[in-house]
Amino acid sequence: MFLINDLIALLAANLILSQALGTSTIFIAAGSRKNLIGTAGVITVFTTIGAAAAYLIDLLLQPSVADLRLLFYTIVIGALYVALLAAVYRFANRWFEELRRYIHVSAFNCAVMGTLFTINSRASMDGTMFNLGGYVSAGLEAGIGFIIAALILTAAYRKLNSSKVPASFRGFPAMLVYLGIISMAVYSLK
Amino acid sequence: MTDRKKALFGGVLGDNIVLSGLMVISPVIICGDTLKNAEALIYAFSAITFLSVLISSFVPKKLPYTAKVIIYALISALVYIPVKLAAREFYPESIERIGIYYPLLAVNSLIVFQTEAKFFRMKKGDMIVSLLSCIIGFDIVMLLTGFLRELFAYGTINSRIVDVNTLIGGLSQPFGGFIFLGLMCGVYRFIRGLVSRNSNNDVRSDADVSDK
Repeated sequence: MFLINDLIALLAANLILSQALGTSTIFIAAGSRKNLIGTAGVITVFTTIGAAAAYLIDLLLQPSVADLRLLFYTIVIGALYVALLAAVYRFANRWFEELRRYIHVSAFNCAVMGTLFTINSRASMDGTMFNLGGYVSAGLEAGIGFIIAALILTAAYRKLNSSKVPASFRGFPAMLVYLGIISMAVYSLK
Repeated sequence: MTDRKKALFGGVLGDNIVLSGLMVISPVIICGDTLKNAEALIYAFSAITFLSVLISSFVPKKLPYTAKVIIYALISALVYIPVKLAAREFYPESIERIGIYYPLLAVNSLIVFQTEAKFFRMKKGDMIVSLLSCIIGFDIVMLLTGFLRELFAYGTINSRIVDVNTLIGGLSQPFGGFIFLGLMCGVYRFIRGLVSRNSNNDVRSDADVSDK
């Protein structure tokens, strides 16, 4: 029962299905199992470590200069982007060429940046979340949510791209409508 | 239309960044439910994107790709600050409603990735025309989405009540945004196919990957 409750909570708080964050990226992830693992893995790293850094920024940033938040988040994601590329180059050189494109795709997009802003927004409404653990777990949760949404889309990907779908609606339009229907189901869980 | 004209003006209709490229779709899905939101998003997107790409075009091309992408993102994050300050004067209510999607406009893929892939391969003059056509393309979609969703979700146009018999409340919700944008993409492709008399000209979805 706990597992079902957790799954429902994860779905209801899913940033793609409830806030459309990272929708374009999920279409890339859903293309193949390899893309799914690569993109989802890198995005989870970005959201989790990025959330920890975002906590420090939110802690230090005065409300009067809140407009600088985007700039600091961008610096953090930029640093993480370089660090991740360097780490993969150093420790997984064999797969560098392959992993590099997932890192490029995942670094600056709505899924990652939107997660950081959403966590900040939630923490400003709910004071109990304003701690390092709260931020990191919310970042990890967002990454897992991305994986779940990508899996849901992967399940129907081939059919939505099949020749049985009218040419005008084949691919992205059908996937958007499909995500809309799943999003409607998730909305009813709230 | 010649290839050059297509490259310059394609962003408005032929290769629309939202309907064809599926870029910057999150704000359209979530915030594009009223004309007022649409206006505020159009202002923010147009100002941030135009200024950021223009300033980014002065970044040395010899720098490594990763460094350039980070610099483009930093430039747009800096441009975002005065744009938001100005928005507080013109659209104070909308900032609250648009919320986190405001800063997200500054990291849109048109600025971060398309600059390298498309704009910076053009001459400055061509780049500005092409960039403006992409921005106008987004603006048209945003206005159309805001107008239709507000009309059918709330029965109003720009907050003024109009006589609409059928209201679909779900259109104001995120799932309504997904479905509406999906349908709009399909209709756009259908019309584009009719105009070009070649319905298989879509690059991204012409492959049949069914099991059959």
